[in-house]
Amino acid sequence: MSEIKGSVGPVGNQGDIAEYLAELEDIPGTRVYTAARARKGYWLNQFAMSLMKEENRRRWRADEKAYLDEWQLSDDIKQALLARDYNRLLDLGGNIYFLAKVFSTDGLSFLQAVSTMTGMSVTEYKAMMDAGGRSPEGVRSIKGGY
Amino acid sequence: MARITAGVGSSHIPLLGVAVDQGKTKDDYFTPIFSGYEWTKEWIKGEKPDVIILVYNDHASAFDANIIPAFAIGTGERYKPADEGWGPRPVPDVIGEPDLGWHIAQSLILDEFDMTIINEMDVDHGLTVPLSMMFGQPEAWPVKVIPLAVNVVTYPVPTGNRCWMLGEAIKRAVESYPEDLNVQIWGTGGMSHQLQGPRAGLINAEWDNAFMDGLIGTSDRNRTIPHIEYLRETGSEGIEMVMWLIMRGALGAETRLLHRHYHVPCSNTAVGHIVLEPVS
Repeated sequence: MSEIKGSVGPVGNQGDIAEYLAELEDIPGTRVYTAARARKGYWLNQFAMSLMKEENRRRWRADEKAYLDEWQLSDDIKQALLARDYNRLLDLGGNIYFLAKVFSTDGLSFLQAVSTMTGMSVTEYKAMMDAGGRSPEGVRSIKGGY
Repeated sequence: MARITAGVGSSHIPLLGVAVDQGKTKDDYFTPIFSGYEWTKEWIKGEKPDVIILVYNDHASAFDANIIPAFAIGTGERYKPADEGWGPRPVPDVIGEPDLGWHIAQSLILDEFDMTIINEMDVDHGLTVPLSMMFGQPEAWPVKVIPLAVNVVTYPVPTGNRCWMLGEAIKRAVESYPEDLNVQIWGTGGMSHQLQGPRAGLINAEWDNAFMDGLIGTSDRNRTIPHIEYLRETGSEGIEMVMWLIMRGALGAETRLLHRHYHVPCSNTAVGHIVLEPVS
């Protein structure tokens, strides 16, 4: 059941913004990076962006808490960052490409960091990927249950 | 007159860049991935394109959360590889083509695509990994590159249909350039992958292959795929495939398949690669 369906009606079919945004929240285990999340996580993502500079990475590694205190971040965000709780960070408006600066600074690959969000060990997650990845069956829609 | 002579689709997974940079492309894990690019590496030596219009997305490297251009075109003289958190990739600077870049930018605006114009930026794995896949490790890249960055991160991202139309406008822009240049357009990113949340690791080989089928010949069914279908079927980052539709739109009404490759997995991601030429 994976054939391409396309849209019915007007090309794009994305004119009703309320319906469009509601659908983006209907995917199990997924936080689509919407405008609402981008707004909520603005300084979290800008903080992560700062780790693209070696000088900032050095200061972050030397004293993570002190470095975080220089940013306009809620205590929730600071705690989630210190704990490297990436699912929580997604809930707080983080985007994975920004958060990648944090786990890259830790020396983690995308696969290692991404596995921490799935409830699997790195070994289990890698084995799943090597066996063809996670099937979309049953995880396409919360409401539809398909 | 300048002409678009071919279109290339390719994933731009960062781990592929690591494999090239660290000499691991012949390891057991990477051999089935890189072997699918051997045909293209030979082909492109014969084609000798002058310029690549390289459609990619910036992964929070040149653009932060502050300014989010839907479509941005590079008109700079050169671009350095970005430091994405582990130091810049050891690859040559990317040399731009400002004359053609500005020509395309101006043509697109007059064609009602109001582009963001970028003169200085660093380019991340989204742009440099496809160059490494096609050209290996040269001392200098053998082509000039016009970066074309698409927002596929912050929603709503451009629709697939809009991407296809932008491709059509790029074709018109290139064909109105007087210099005799051999131009290729590459669409990069994808294929199915999800890098976030408990659903991470999603792969949909059947859907990915149907998408590649839809790039060949006269089919234009891919242009009507809504965002939600990419998200449900191919994972949250599978949306990058809309960038392949800019490439496809720029090839005109009909394409011929020259080469095709698909492999799962590379890191979290399905690797897809296709080479098409316009049928005129």
